[in-house]
Amino acid sequence: MKKTSILDLISRKLAPFMLLFGFYLLAYGHTSPGGGFQGGVVMASGVILLVVAQGVKATESLFPALSLTKVEIAAFLAFLAAGLAGLVMGRGFLGNPMAQVQASAVPRVGMVLILNLIIGIEVGSGISLICLRLFRNE
Amino acid sequence: MAWLLMGAIFLVGLWGVMNKANMVKKVMGLSIANSAIILLFIYYGSLSGKTAPIEGTGETMVDPLPQALMLTAIVVGVCVMALALVLVYRLYLKFHTLDMREVERRAWELHD
Amino acid sequence: MKSRRLLAVAETVVLLLTAFFLFQVLHGEHETSSEIRDYMVENCKEETGALNLVTGIYLGYRAFDTLGETVVLLVAVSGVLFFLVPTLGKDNEENLDS
Repeated sequence: MKKTSILDLISRKLAPFMLLFGFYLLAYGHTSPGGGFQGGVVMASGVILLVVAQGVKATESLFPALSLTKVEIAAFLAFLAAGLAGLVMGRGFLGNPMAQVQASAVPRVGMVLILNLIIGIEVGSGISLICLRLFRNE
Repeated sequence: MAWLLMGAIFLVGLWGVMNKANMVKKVMGLSIANSAIILLFIYYGSLSGKTAPIEGTGETMVDPLPQALMLTAIVVGVCVMALALVLVYRLYLKFHTLDMREVERRAWELHD
Repeated sequence: MKSRRLLAVAETVVLLLTAFFLFQVLHGEHETSSEIRDYMVENCKEETGALNLVTGIYLGYRAFDTLGETVVLLVAVSGVLFFLVPTLGKDNEENLDS
């Protein structure tokens, strides 16, 4: 699309803050509104702003499509591995493997936090991969 | 009166799927009906309390189960819309038109 | 044309029927007490450790649905990539009377 200098400037200054805000929603998902899906989608929308305003070639040098594919597959396998870790420790598939700790200590909530991060990375990379591939056809 | 508004949004989406011939408009009507149903579930789940379901606030909380189910429903809706639009794009590349009656007629001619 | 009028009448009938059934379902009294909310307020913090009740549901009590949803996302992304690969750099080349 036709580039004006205001679009170029605003997209370059705003996109890192959108990625940071998405990561904040991911990391605080267990104590405030937010979580895996919401944070992942906000991160993907930061990447989509770069694709729309700067063009596909400039964004491909930052987020190559092959790396996004590998990250997404790795996140799915990590989700399965977290479920199997719960099975090994004797609490059932996708159970909490650290459930003997007291309720107010920090490692008790670790399973929810780890699962939130895994889901956020998967959703964010999946949706930005769809958008990158759709925009390449123009 | 919120149920009237949500019923109206669902009927607008259904009318869009039935009445328009452009395929992209049909897909968008489906997306509108999807949003109406999700709003309906969340509204009727919020009638039993007053504030968001996060520990640490004072008053009675709303029911958290419909909100958790609608998270999954929203993501599935986005995936269905993405696949439907990609199929419409491939049909456009083959027949060079977006009108559904034209595509149907030419597909029957190709078949014979 | 006659078939066009018939189609318009059929569409109106379908819309009115849907509106009637929606009205029957949505209009009446809806209860305002919820057993799940009472159970969750007492037990969710000890069993999963999350302060957000919605996160405790979709990652604690019902984490299997979240696994199924990640599978749906993976299948959708691979479907989009599969359908768009043959058209890279080749648009408007397919002709109908070839």
